[in-house]
Amino acid sequence: MLRLELYKIFRRPRTYISFAIITAITFVIQLAMLVDGSSFMDFALQGVGEQFDIQGNVLNGYLVTYLILQSLLIHIPLLVALVAGDALAGEANLGTLRLLLTKPVSRAKLVLVKFAGSLLYTLLLLIWLAVVGLGLSLILFGDGDMINLKSDAFVMLLRDDIMWRYMAAFGFAALAMTSVAALALLLSAFADNSIGPIISTMGIIVVLTILSNLELPLFNIIKPYLLTTHMIGWKGFFDDPVPYEAIQHSAIVLLAYTILFVAITVLYFNKKDIKS
Amino acid sequence: MRMFRLLFVLLFLLPVQLIAATADANLLFLQMRQKLDYVKDYVADVKMKVDVTFMKVPPLHGKLYFKAPDKMKLDRSGGISIMPRKSISMTLNNLIPSGDATVIDAGYEQVGAVRTKVIKVVPGTDQTDIILTKIWIDESRMLAMRTETTTRDNGTINMDLVYGKYAEIGLPDKITFFVDVKEFKLPKGVTMDYDQGNKPATAAAAPEAGKQKRKKGKIEITYLNYVVNKGISDDVFRDDKK
Repeated sequence: MLRLELYKIFRRPRTYISFAIITAITFVIQLAMLVDGSSFMDFALQGVGEQFDIQGNVLNGYLVTYLILQSLLIHIPLLVALVAGDALAGEANLGTLRLLLTKPVSRAKLVLVKFAGSLLYTLLLLIWLAVVGLGLSLILFGDGDMINLKSDAFVMLLRDDIMWRYMAAFGFAALAMTSVAALALLLSAFADNSIGPIISTMGIIVVLTILSNLELPLFNIIKPYLLTTHMIGWKGFFDDPVPYEAIQHSAIVLLAYTILFVAITVLYFNKKDIKS
Repeated sequence: MRMFRLLFVLLFLLPVQLIAATADANLLFLQMRQKLDYVKDYVADVKMKVDVTFMKVPPLHGKLYFKAPDKMKLDRSGGISIMPRKSISMTLNNLIPSGDATVIDAGYEQVGAVRTKVIKVVPGTDQTDIILTKIWIDESRMLAMRTETTTRDNGTINMDLVYGKYAEIGLPDKITFFVDVKEFKLPKGVTMDYDQGNKPATAAAAPEAGKQKRKKGKIEITYLNYVVNKGISDDVFRDDKK
């Protein structure tokens, strides 16, 4: 059943749009950095540059990858929603959902298979991002020590101490995107066409991202509960020392959201009156 | 008669003493400059520790190249090197004014276990960034143990020096810089920081955040070995790509 689901996902041209978008954004950022990276670095490092003289290959593959990941912060969840939001609603829209449920499988199993399909797609998307983002950036810009600029700190990581951080960061990103896939699947269960859940997931992620980044005391109360606050936990791996406790907390929150979304989807879908 | 003697002492002998002290200080300064001038260039394996509030930098190992009068570069074989701004520079040669200078005797002070002569040096020209340098000198070894340099643009730089096997030529085994650093701030909207849940933004903290406060930063350089006066090409000091 999972194989059939994967066949359906990867047969659709829409699926490959996500891979093309990631490739295009990555290429654009890499090209921009190749052409005008030094002025970008001068701008980014001006606060430190006034006081310290920083030399060497600052604009290396590791830093460029970090910039790519940073700029794809909002986009990847949207690409995940393209497939996960379509999982159940797409079937309903095509009128194949009722037919599918005539098979001797429980509705819960169907939801879980749809979720597993979306999950595999998400993982492949992240692996592709690692290949074109990290792999190609290292080929184009070389490796070296990495500088990570935070709002109140300048973090420098030694070359030999970076690759494991990327592995961990991609692992964490997979967990974050899983929660997005679960959200899109939940919304997909409520709809009978795929546009609604896809747009709704995008809207929720955009609004929550804005709320997570607004530095207003009012929003500080709700920030710890927002999905988007914890989705950027991958950045913690590029801090020194790594805030393992905070990352662990974020991972638990994301996992809890994922379980909650999938559970609600199963519960709702079990009782849903399927008309198409 | 007694009053006259006292007046004589005050009017003539004290200035003579002061002139003698200043002459001593001048001589001391010139002798020390001469010792520093012996080193035309060096390459040293160094270990560097940056201790600045906003910087999280691991201990750095590399080769430090110096060429008189003011060229300096830390090479980390492909890695990133961080040094205080060029205008500050990190050698005694640059923190002690060259050429015409007014030297003032400032008495004696204890630096650790060493009794040092303190002199103040004011550059004779206003073309330099240095306004005043205070030097604590170990007279027996003719070594600067501590300096305090007030600059026009880079605040005050304090430097503590520890000597070992290269004391004969005035090269330290360890230098500790204390430099003024501004606070570092970037908008959170740009950096999109991961909120670790320990620093809630409050209205009370906001005015503080706006100010660019100066704090002391510490940079420690340990010299593991030196290769002195073997000649270094200027190409070594060319700026690497950013």
